[in-house]
Amino acid sequence: MRARIVAVLNQKGGVGKTTTSVNLTHALAKLGKKITVIDFDPQSHLTVSLGVVDPQKGGIDEVLLEGRNLAKQLIPVRENLNLVIAGPRLQEIEQLVDGGARRGDLLRKALHEGNRDEDFIFIDCPPSSGVLVANALFAADEILVPMTSDYLALQGLSHLMGTIKKFESALKKSYKFSLVMSRYIPTRRMSKDVLSVIQKYFPGQILATTIRETALLAECPSFGKTIFEYRPGCRSARDFTALAKDFLEGRMM
Amino acid sequence: MAEQDEDSLIGYDPLAWMHRSDFNQDSQKTEVGESEADSSIKFVSSTEEASNLEMDLDQAPDDVSELSSSEGEGAVLVLEPVQNIQNVAILHQRLTQMLGNFDVIDIDASNVTMIDTATLQLLLILKQTAIGLQKSISIDFPSDKFIAAAELLGIAEMLEVDQAASGFF
Repeated sequence: MRARIVAVLNQKGGVGKTTTSVNLTHALAKLGKKITVIDFDPQSHLTVSLGVVDPQKGGIDEVLLEGRNLAKQLIPVRENLNLVIAGPRLQEIEQLVDGGARRGDLLRKALHEGNRDEDFIFIDCPPSSGVLVANALFAADEILVPMTSDYLALQGLSHLMGTIKKFESALKKSYKFSLVMSRYIPTRRMSKDVLSVIQKYFPGQILATTIRETALLAECPSFGKTIFEYRPGCRSARDFTALAKDFLEGRMM
Repeated sequence: MAEQDEDSLIGYDPLAWMHRSDFNQDSQKTEVGESEADSSIKFVSSTEEASNLEMDLDQAPDDVSELSSSEGEGAVLVLEPVQNIQNVAILHQRLTQMLGNFDVIDIDASNVTMIDTATLQLLLILKQTAIGLQKSISIDFPSDKFIAAAELLGIAEMLEVDQAASGFF
C-alpha cells in the first residue's frame, strides 16, 4: 500500500506547522504507524525540534538537487518515526530558474521511487509560497493546515485557499484537506469567533481536537524533545494524542 | 469581503469569496484547439494586426455554451502546444468571451512548445485590459518555450511569467 503523503502547509509563519509536524507524527508513531517526516523548511526547525543537530549533513536537499535516493537519507529518530532533514542546500531549490514547471515536480518523483513501507509521509513546509511549497503540493495527496485563531491567520488562509485551488485546477487533482486549530486559547473571544468563521467555510474539515496554547509546547524544541518526552501526560500531550486519533479516524468538528 | 455580524470580532470576512465563487466546484475549463476553429474565422495576417486587437467586450460572441453561466467565477484556458498566427483569432475570440464573463482567468501555458509574437501580444493586451477592468489574468505553469519567447520579446515581466515560473503563480 502506498504511503499517504501529507503536506503540513500554511504560508503564514508562527501558526504551528512544525509543532504539529513534530508532535502529531510522534503521536502517530506511538500509535504504531510507520512515519517518515521531511523537514522541508531551510530553517531546519523540525530537525532541531527532534533533537538532530548536524548543520552540514545532507538531507532532502541532496535528494532534490543531486538525485540521491531518499531511502539513504532517512534518520531513525524515534520508534516508527524516520526523519529526512532539510540539509544546508535546500534553500537553493528556491533559486532554481531552469526546468519550468518541472522544478515543482522534484519531490513527487523522489517519493515515488523505490518501494516504501511507511503508512504516512509528512512534509513540514516552509512559511513561504515558492518552489519548495510547489514541490510539496505536487507531491502531496493531503493537505493539513495548522491555523491559529487570530484575524491575520484568517486572512492568510484565504490566500492559501486561492493557491490550493489553482494547484488543484492545474494538476487536475483534488486534495483531501483538513485544518487543525493550533495555539488555541479557549478563553479568548477572538479565538471562538475565528473558529466560528472557519467552521462556516470548512464544515467537516476541521480536526475535532483543538491544540491549546501552552508554554510547554514552546519549551520542548530547545531540548530536542517532543511533548511526549518533555512532559508525558500533560495537557498538550493529551491534545496531540487525541489529534492523532482524529486524524486516523477522520473525526472532524 | 463580506462583513460579519455586529457581535463578531471579525470585521471583514476574508474567506467570503469561497462562498461567492462556489468553492466546491472546479473552475471551468476551456480547451482551445484547432478543431474548434471553423472556416468562418477571419484570421489576422500579421503580428501588427494582432497587436491592434482590442478587447472590446461588446464584440464578444454570444455563443459561450461551454463557459459557466454564473458570471464572476474563475475560468481556466489551456493553451494548445502550438500557438501562432493561424489560431490567434480563435484565441482572441475565446479570451474576449472569458473576459466578459469571468473576474479571474488562469491561462495554463504548460503545454506550449511554440508561440509566436502575435499570440504573446494578444496575451499582453488581454492582461492590460483585465487590469483596467479590475479583473485578474494569470499565466500558470508557463513552459520553457513560453518563457523564452516572452523574454525574447521583452514582455516576460509584464506577463509576470517570472513569478509564475517560480512554480507558485
